[in-house]
Amino acid sequence: MTGNDDIGAKLAAAACALLGTAVCAPASAEESTNAWSIDSSFLYYGESDGRVQDVSAIVAAQRDFGDQRKLSATLTADTLTGASASGAIALDGPQTFTSPSGRATYTTPAGEVPLDDTFHDTRFALNATWSQPLAELYTLSAGAGFSTEYDYRHLGANVSLARDFNKRNTTLSAGLAWSQDDIDPVGGAPMPLSQMLDVGDQSHKLGSDSKTVLDVLVGFTQVLDRATVLRVNYSYSDSSGYLNDPYKVLSVVDPLTGDTITRVPAEEGPTGVYLYESRPDKRAKQSVYAEMKRAFGARVLRVAYRFMTDDWGIDSNTAEASLRWPLGASSYIEPQLRYYTQSHADFYRASLIDGEPLPQYASADFRLGDFDATTVGFKYGHRMANGSEWNARFEYYQQTGSIPSQQIIGNQANREQYPDLSAVIVQFGYRFGF
Amino acid sequence: MKRSLLLILLGTLCGCTTVQPWQRDVLARPEMSLDAAPLDAAIDDHIYFSKEASSGGRGFGGGGCGCN
Amino acid sequence: MNASVSVRRGPCAVTLVRDRDHWAGRFVAMASPCDVLIEDVVSQMQAKQIVDAVAACAWRIEKKFSRYRPGSVVWDINDTAGAVVAVDDETASLLDFAATLTQLSDGRFDITSGVLRRAWTFDGGARIPSQEQIDALLPLVGWNKVQWNRPSLLLGPGMQIDFGGIGKEYAVDTAAALANRAAPGVSCLVNFGGDVAVVNARQDGQPWRVGVERPDRLGSTAEMVSLHRGGIATSGDSRRFVQSSGRRYSHILDARTGWPVERAPRSVTVVADTCTQAGSFTTLAMLQGRQAEAFLKASGHQFWIQ
Repeated sequence: MTGNDDIGAKLAAAACALLGTAVCAPASAEESTNAWSIDSSFLYYGESDGRVQDVSAIVAAQRDFGDQRKLSATLTADTLTGASASGAIALDGPQTFTSPSGRATYTTPAGEVPLDDTFHDTRFALNATWSQPLAELYTLSAGAGFSTEYDYRHLGANVSLARDFNKRNTTLSAGLAWSQDDIDPVGGAPMPLSQMLDVGDQSHKLGSDSKTVLDVLVGFTQVLDRATVLRVNYSYSDSSGYLNDPYKVLSVVDPLTGDTITRVPAEEGPTGVYLYESRPDKRAKQSVYAEMKRAFGARVLRVAYRFMTDDWGIDSNTAEASLRWPLGASSYIEPQLRYYTQSHADFYRASLIDGEPLPQYASADFRLGDFDATTVGFKYGHRMANGSEWNARFEYYQQTGSIPSQQIIGNQANREQYPDLSAVIVQFGYRFGF
Repeated sequence: MKRSLLLILLGTLCGCTTVQPWQRDVLARPEMSLDAAPLDAAIDDHIYFSKEASSGGRGFGGGGCGCN
Repeated sequence: MNASVSVRRGPCAVTLVRDRDHWAGRFVAMASPCDVLIEDVVSQMQAKQIVDAVAACAWRIEKKFSRYRPGSVVWDINDTAGAVVAVDDETASLLDFAATLTQLSDGRFDITSGVLRRAWTFDGGARIPSQEQIDALLPLVGWNKVQWNRPSLLLGPGMQIDFGGIGKEYAVDTAAALANRAAPGVSCLVNFGGDVAVVNARQDGQPWRVGVERPDRLGSTAEMVSLHRGGIATSGDSRRFVQSSGRRYSHILDARTGWPVERAPRSVTVVADTCTQAGSFTTLAMLQGRQAEAFLKASGHQFWIQ
């Protein structure tokens, strides 16, 4: 007989001619019977000016056991290198700081925003989720997670229940998540608002600490019409315990010049007066998130919005949009845009004023300040004949902050005040099933 | 701000129709799933959690880290 | 909870029952028990309409292509063998398809091979014909002796055609397409005596579970096939064979020789995109004799061979 591929193709064509166009679209019986689905991603994140760089690899596997029962597990490994702004302000001259371990110092050149450059960390994380129907129209999901890095360990669990209504046009869900994190900072967690001391002097450092986070999520998904689906979530999050960043400091400055008060270290140590930050030991956040996907023919538009507010005085707004644009039968391009803005925490301070009484809480961590951030990028994907897909994503992230004018003192006005951040994100992914 | 957001949401809800199961061909496309790219979402959540003061909203995060 | 509706009485009876998560319509057509399983996203009335349409389709095709019924298309063609006949579109498409199968099987499959039935009676008995009996019939067998120029068909005198090898699978796919037009997007499983087609996958993501019968233990199910969409067909000698001198002769005849294919498997089941394609693969595989398994492995389709 003629070659086998030949036979298959000729039979398909003959059956197509016999049965008419209704059956000509190849709908493989095997296609949707993949029990396993594997999704993997390789990510590079790099900030400019020698700041943080991160390389990570993620593998997610999902096993379908039939009857809507699924098990999924995700393994992440990432390596972080580079420096992050420490919260101290820039000066006209160089500054020296004691590193977190208390065994060395590092120096910031004149005029530059101080970066803590002794940061190097590798993290492993494992998450697993099991979901299954509980009864007709009810779906139960339960998950657990674990992650470890050299100064931080996380353990978490979550559970959620979803119920469908109205021919599965509407879904209501409610979920609970709990996590317990143990923080063991290099050199020990510093006493809040204590001073950075010379090399070898760890008297302001304590040991390890921990924090607990409880999350409640209520979700509502609604099919609006044949081509549109909407999701709205409300979530409440309560954190308690050690919420400080043990490596962040504030500069204590002269009330007139705005320059950091200098000091002379005994042998090796800081050349200025720097105090470790202090944050409250509780934080309550609430957020409302809405997302809508709409198909315009073969194109799919996604828009999302989130509003968050918390009891630290931070309000934030996030808006995202992306448009998936098919290119031919097996590729697509998806431009993406994100805009984020947040207001500063009540206790956010650019610097502390010498002579004034210390506030109870203070932090110069740029992540608690006023800033806008924009992400622009695109994703490209290509589906292979065997159903697997590889994809690539390129994004550019830019954060621009500002400090409330009443907090800018004297000479600070002439220097870079907010450690603006820009980063490139490059991601390659591959997913397949079997 | 909060009040106008709520009104927009309610307005959208009132415009919905019931889609019959046999009309779900468009909605069944993988790219129409709200969880179509879970790894992208996890990566974004992690990056923004470590660089910004807000996190999550979409679902439960994958886990804490020392990055914030 | 069962709800049942009986639509008609007598030989054209169609019953409709509500099973656990689907509607089940049943009737008899083409000498086989037939099922139409519909995912229970439709109302009882809609299910009844779908089953009625499928049954009507099956009976129409059975009547049109039956070689026993005077006035059917096949009867008329066989009756006027030796003269040119003009056939309609549907018949012409089936003839084209049959011609393709003949070509793909190098002549082993042939819709003109039905006359060999005069020599072979596959009733489980022990009668095998003599070579003379077969030689007498071979001049009447062979698609190459037919003049087919769509839509004109000219059989040699005494020649006969029948669509026995492809008719049922064609009926299944046509009925499944009809069910899809009656209720677009609803998952319906059409099963005519073991030839199955599903056009749309189920809304709840579950596959239909189809059992494949073992030929040596009729009535008990061996394998479960999970079918989201596509077709399943089975060729086998479980019910029609001749046993003589310890050898079992399958009813699948090699049209070139007039004898049953040697070492044909007892039963072949194939899963493909459509029932017609699945049926073609089972037929071609059976005609391969002992190479059936290798042939099916190379095809890339899911199959069971016994």
